[in-house]
Amino acid sequence: MTQEARVREFVAAFERLRAEVEKVIVGHRDIINHVLIGMFAGGHVLLEGAPGLGKTLLIKTLAEGLELSFSRIQFTPDLMPADIIGTNIILEDAEGRKHFQFQPGPIFGHILLADEINRATPKTQSALLEGMQEGSVTVAGASRPLPAPFFVLATQNPIEMEGTYPLPEAQLDRFMFKLRVRYPAMEELNAIIERTTQVHPVAVEQVMTGPAVMGFRELIREVPLASHVRDFASTIVMATHPDWEGSPEISRRFVRYGASPRGAQALVLGAKVLALSQGRYNVSADDIRALTAPALRHRVILNFEGEAEAIDTDTLVTEIVDKAQERMTAGREAFLR
Amino acid sequence: MPQTEALARLAERVARQVRWRRAEYHALRGLFYGAVGATLVLLLKTPFGSVALPAAGGLVLLGLLAGGVWGLVQRVPTEDAARLADGAFELQDRVATALEWARRPDRTPLVDALIADAIAHVEALAPRRIVRRLVPREVRWLPLPVLVGLALAVSPPLPMPSGRLPDFLTSTDSPETKERGELAMMEQDRRLIPKDALKRPAMEERDFNQRGGTGASPTAGDLSAIFKDTSLGNQRPDFNSFLKKGDERLKLLEQVDRLPDLQSDFTQSQYKMVFRKSKALTGGLRPDQISPQKLRELLEEMERLGRKGGANWSGDAMEGMDALEGGQPDKALEAMEKALNKMRAMEEQGRGGKNLRGGRERSSAQNRDRGRGAGAGADEQDFGEGEGFLPGKGKSASPKGDPSQRLRASPYDVGVEGESRQGKKDGYDTNMTGRGGKMGSRLSYLGVIGQYRKMMEDAITREQVPRDYHTQIKDYFQALDER
Repeated sequence: MTQEARVREFVAAFERLRAEVEKVIVGHRDIINHVLIGMFAGGHVLLEGAPGLGKTLLIKTLAEGLELSFSRIQFTPDLMPADIIGTNIILEDAEGRKHFQFQPGPIFGHILLADEINRATPKTQSALLEGMQEGSVTVAGASRPLPAPFFVLATQNPIEMEGTYPLPEAQLDRFMFKLRVRYPAMEELNAIIERTTQVHPVAVEQVMTGPAVMGFRELIREVPLASHVRDFASTIVMATHPDWEGSPEISRRFVRYGASPRGAQALVLGAKVLALSQGRYNVSADDIRALTAPALRHRVILNFEGEAEAIDTDTLVTEIVDKAQERMTAGREAFLR
Repeated sequence: MPQTEALARLAERVARQVRWRRAEYHALRGLFYGAVGATLVLLLKTPFGSVALPAAGGLVLLGLLAGGVWGLVQRVPTEDAARLADGAFELQDRVATALEWARRPDRTPLVDALIADAIAHVEALAPRRIVRRLVPREVRWLPLPVLVGLALAVSPPLPMPSGRLPDFLTSTDSPETKERGELAMMEQDRRLIPKDALKRPAMEERDFNQRGGTGASPTAGDLSAIFKDTSLGNQRPDFNSFLKKGDERLKLLEQVDRLPDLQSDFTQSQYKMVFRKSKALTGGLRPDQISPQKLRELLEEMERLGRKGGANWSGDAMEGMDALEGGQPDKALEAMEKALNKMRAMEEQGRGGKNLRGGRERSSAQNRDRGRGAGAGADEQDFGEGEGFLPGKGKSASPKGDPSQRLRASPYDVGVEGESRQGKKDGYDTNMTGRGGKMGSRLSYLGVIGQYRKMMEDAITREQVPRDYHTQIKDYFQALDER
């Protein structure tokens, strides 16, 4: 199969999957795109929004569209890590001898829906850390790999709501994207009512297998990235750091910690998926710019002044991108800008 | 790499556009600076001569060409050109990425697809100019040097300063220099005219009549007479400078007993008449500069007066005439001085007093004498020839004579006050206050004025008096002479 054919296949698969999701989810096209980008890039996605906006439904629908195992964990304050990872239980064989046997938790699935992840205690939340990063969990000294592809889709309510535990920065960094689910528009709300209050529910077809997803992941990594586009991504990430010499004033003033290298990886990988999903064989600066907010908004930690001023991280990231763009062209001859 | 030729051609096309735009940009800058240089050349048209205009034109052309060539030869990196093409044709970094990855050894299989995709997009493009024209900031000011240069080109050369000092060593003056020198001398003469205008008439021509007063009868000790008929009378006195510590005038004013009593009229005496004539004749002149004829006339008059009154100065006058006849004007002057002294001594004797004291002082002296008993006081001593109650000439051990009783009693008993006087000519009257103001002068004016003038000249010579006061003091004494 030629490269062009592989790319065309990916584009078609991507479109099909999105179409299946859109059968159920009305609107939220960007959210759906970003969720799919995160999944194909091999990352995990955190969806944040008020209850009832369709976050869980979106993930369930996506899982239905893929021929992959799906687990759902409803996070509550009394949830324990073992409830997620699994535990050794004592079993008695036919001869009456007892032995331990590992009972895998819900994390051992291809797609894990961690619903309302910020309702669990930090200890339980951190149970996901190893699995999200390493693709394996360690139970009783034994490391157990998770099935591939492993894809965590978490939802959370805004942190200012009662009964929530804000995710620690380390765990937030494990999520490739953080997506903000907003209220639907009037037309979208009408469509939601129409679709969800009928007698016959909408059926979602499975359009993609696990190996196909893994194959696409390899293809995505082959997408070439020009050095100036790479530099642009690096500049954006560096500009989120208040101590960097080229940081804009807004970073110096309102940011305590900037994005990690993992953020740059997420940015570039996501840009590759985005480019390929559009049938392009290369990453452009526009791809980088389109994904900065989902990739960096949860990685930029505001300082006290930023919190006190209620600085919106999306606005902050947008300004950082603009400044990075200026920095890229600064010193360049006017004819070459 | 043959695969990327189309992409390279696109990049080269864009680079060429950039170079042309650069050439335009720098040519305009060069044109501006060339025009500025040309304006300078035209400003200095005189030294450049006939070359100025072609040189100016050449500078403008040179600036234009140099700027254009500079813009053309500047290199445009292929990556930059490719990036520019991507941005201008909305190729989403296809060309730049393809060109970069085509050269890389770690190219992935997807790169070939990328190159093909980029070429397909590039070939579908309609060629157009994508590099915008930029106008340098200097061009806003271009009309200024151009207009100035044009104006200078059509105008005659500006005169240039020579920048040399005059050659004083050259003795041969050109006619033009001579003419300039004469003009300068005439100019200097014209500047001297005001001085001549101020020149006072000869003493012989002056009116020695007593000038009229202000109408108010002067009181004893009133010094307004000193000032009001002088050139200082019209000036507002500066009392601050007047009262400065160490001011010689203040010291003089404190010694009111030594100031002349100008309230007495001396004009009626023969001595006064002769004295004035002698002063008019000899004032400021050397013996050889004095007119012998006038000196003889004066000596004859003195001799005649002496003979008429039986006085003893006629002999001196005769001696003077003899010396004059013998061509010795200095001896004639000495003889005249002797005769004058004798005339003055006789005059004082004739007035019944030894000096020009007023009645009050005379009465107080009489009171003192009465207190001391009989006998003549120090004031009543007689003077010999050439003597008088002059500083250093009296019998007192002090060269300035005995201090007055008043000053010994209280040095703060004297003050000076003044008030402006409205009249035909505004003036300022100065009066002594305190006890000193009520006391009459103990010295004869004519006896001391010469001494004071000498003291004044010494003080000025020794620079005890500030330079700013010199003219004022000299004017003051000159005014006294005029009286």
